[in-house]
Amino acid sequence: MGLIGRRAAARPGRAVLATRLGRAVLAAWLVLPLVPLLLWAVADRWSAPAVLPQELGTDGLRDALAAGGPAALARSTALGAAVAVLATPLGALAARALVVHRVPRPGAVLAVLLSPLVLPPFAVALGLDVLLLRLRVPATAGVVLLLTVAALPYTTIVLRAALAAQDRGFEEEARTLGATPWQVLRGVQVPLLAPALAGAAFLAFLVGWSDYVVTLLVGGGRLVTLPLLIGSAASATGNEAQVAVLSLTAVLPPLALLALVGVPGRRARGGRR
Amino acid sequence: MSGPPGARGRRTGLLLVLPALVPVVAVVGAALTSALLAALGLAPLVGEPRLTGAAFTAPADQLASAVPLSLAIAAAATAAAAAVGLALALAAVATARRSRLLGALSAATVPVPHLVGAAAMGLLLADAGFLPRLLGVAPEDWPALVGGRWWVAVVAEYAWKESAFVALVVGGVLASRSRSYGETAAVLGAGRWARFRTVTLPLAAPALGAASAISFVYVLGSYEVAALLGRAAPEPLPVLAVRLSTSIDLAARPQGAAVAVVTAGLALLAVVLALRALRRLAAWG
Amino acid sequence: MSGELRLTGLTRVHGRGRPPALDGLDLAVPAGSCVAVLGPSGSGKSTVLRLTAGLDEPTRGSVHLDGRDLAGVPPERRGVAMVFQRPLLFPHLSARDNVAYADRVRGAPRRRARARAAEFLDLVGLAGLGDRAPRELSSGQEQRVALARALAAEPRVLLLDEPFSALDAPLREEMHELLVDLRARLAPTVLLVTHDPAEAAALADTVAVLEAGRLQQHGPVAELHARPASLSVSRLLGGRTEVPGQVRAGVHHSPLGALALPGPVADGPGVLVVRPEAVALAAGHADVTGTVVRVRYRGLRPLVTVDAGGVAVHAELTPGDDVVAGAVVGLRLPVAARHVVPVRPG
Repeated sequence: MGLIGRRAAARPGRAVLATRLGRAVLAAWLVLPLVPLLLWAVADRWSAPAVLPQELGTDGLRDALAAGGPAALARSTALGAAVAVLATPLGALAARALVVHRVPRPGAVLAVLLSPLVLPPFAVALGLDVLLLRLRVPATAGVVLLLTVAALPYTTIVLRAALAAQDRGFEEEARTLGATPWQVLRGVQVPLLAPALAGAAFLAFLVGWSDYVVTLLVGGGRLVTLPLLIGSAASATGNEAQVAVLSLTAVLPPLALLALVGVPGRRARGGRR
Repeated sequence: MSGPPGARGRRTGLLLVLPALVPVVAVVGAALTSALLAALGLAPLVGEPRLTGAAFTAPADQLASAVPLSLAIAAAATAAAAAVGLALALAAVATARRSRLLGALSAATVPVPHLVGAAAMGLLLADAGFLPRLLGVAPEDWPALVGGRWWVAVVAEYAWKESAFVALVVGGVLASRSRSYGETAAVLGAGRWARFRTVTLPLAAPALGAASAISFVYVLGSYEVAALLGRAAPEPLPVLAVRLSTSIDLAARPQGAAVAVVTAGLALLAVVLALRALRRLAAWG
Repeated sequence: MSGELRLTGLTRVHGRGRPPALDGLDLAVPAGSCVAVLGPSGSGKSTVLRLTAGLDEPTRGSVHLDGRDLAGVPPERRGVAMVFQRPLLFPHLSARDNVAYADRVRGAPRRRARARAAEFLDLVGLAGLGDRAPRELSSGQEQRVALARALAAEPRVLLLDEPFSALDAPLREEMHELLVDLRARLAPTVLLVTHDPAEAAALADTVAVLEAGRLQQHGPVAELHARPASLSVSRLLGGRTEVPGQVRAGVHHSPLGALALPGPVADGPGVLVVRPEAVALAAGHADVTGTVVRVRYRGLRPLVTVDAGGVAVHAELTPGDDVVAGAVVGLRLPVAARHVVPVRPG
């Protein structure tokens, strides 16, 4: 029995070491791709064998500004916001219909709502490109429409899960306390759903913010967003610093939003005791 | 209010779902229809409509290489993402020494646009990139990871981004249930490995499967990463379709539509197969 | 199947600067016996089980099973099994495979593990339900499966963490009967945690009362009822009448008057406690006289509060004793039921 005790005491040492090593590898996996972006963003000269930049500077920033970075940032923000503003309430209504009310053939309705997840965005964009031109839909409106449809599965899924997990008792309690349906919606349901609504809006924003192929194909070159700018800069050689600055510009705003909205699923994680 | 069953509740439900349903049906339906019509020669930009399978047969050689290539890229990226994502999720929800850092890093990777990921992978893995410099390998000795034969940079980018996604989905599921079930298994005599095999893995399997299926379909239909980091030939399906569709040769455009239809069909097939497998996996869920 | 459990000086501090959740607990659970740890929520009673099972590590103190120190032994090698408040049946396994789980992870062939599982399901009265998935079981059935699963692990100590408190009253009664039967047949060593004195009384040989992480008293239920060591023990077991006063020469003096005590008690301040069910209406001589201020009923029994000179005396009367609020009644406090709890400084 002393043996078991000793073995148990000896074991954690090795296990902890292996765990730490594994986790260091995992952290490197997540972080490493972003390191050259950070370095290139402040590098004026960084030629081949050098591990770190030889000259630091703001050439990348200057090039990014000259290439129209600020305008592209504004367009990307507007596109993300437009998709979020449209897809979140539509997703909320659909989720409410699916969870609370009886919709005829709910399985089929849900399948249709989620179908944009399955269809490649480039295929949808290619299919609609000519049609939208013939219908004289403005390119920007077309992009917003396609991306809103692409974002609807996410908002519907998030809000449907949140509504399903929500205790109907709150709503019924509020009704028995004399609240009108409108008051229940404003005073009880929206506050209870606020975290999920924020999460859904964040995901919808990301769909608009990150999109490349739909903007490229349907936007017809007039809607130059950050990803389009990055795409054209990255496909040429020699402007690593500019690509890095533009890329960081495309990463930081969503990260700031994420910090604001909170990590999805974190609330579920609180340990007991 | 409390979801009255019957006709009135149904009508309310229908009214609520229509604002989302109509644009989805319009966009998806119109896109599929017009792609199909174009691919079948029924909606030519010039000339008379004529039903023909030419758009599918003309790029047959390219399709024959694009389909397996796209499937292989998606499969490799998904497999790597599932394995790494599961490891990340386990570390983030571990009972002992839970890693908040890995959880936060996974969450922070999810909102990075794929195009930015592609640009970053280019700067990391190219022959003059950061990794060969870090390892002290000369550019001429570095394997062609970007634009090379094996599509390493493309697979790496997808695996990187999707592993964070898998970690978040699986971590969410495990966080809520793995601890109490793990403790139950431990007091019933299950050691670390047995707990992983008999409790954690089965509990994580449905979420892992679903996240993998979503990743697979996403990678299959994603354009920009392969366009930026891949090689000119052979092309994966999305790159091929976009090139043909935006070609100045008007005769090539129906072929682009045909490739798009094939890609959509493959994605649909993958989802159907995944759903069938998942239903068996999550019979208890 | 039954081992002897001994907890010595067991202490657990969850975080620096926080009061200990468990503070120096000494407790012996003889082989084949059932000891209940009784306490209000937050008293540290679940901590006792988690430390015994090895799910948490003690800050100080030790757990011995059959004389062997379990320090550093992981839960899976301790030879304990635990039933939690929630059944926690593995959702991906059938009821039978849940029960067979312990055998399977120890490497038993599936056939034999399942055959044994069927026996244990039979033992808890669920023969024939082995193929059901957990979600197809009722809550009572789920908890029976959880119990069978723990028993099938053949633990040397069975740990029960409020396993029946989520069930409604009739089901709980059924589970109590089942556990009494199982004890008679298998004689496992059981350490049970509960907040319900009735459950402790129904199942345990001895009861250990825990409050704020400290052991208040440990003994047979009857002793705890008759001679609680402190007011908190008295209250936890349903005592309500508390009369502060002075003890002089074996007699308690208070606003109720001079009441003789059954045994020798040291002189000084002391609180007289009398259990409500011991108090009765006086037919002739009354120990206490007062005005009924409240009557409510538990089943047919009237629960009466009597104001006697500013002191509240509680009585659980026999059915048929008709008393109305405002009436003046005489009560008998049997000498044997009088007990004085010393007033501890601090």
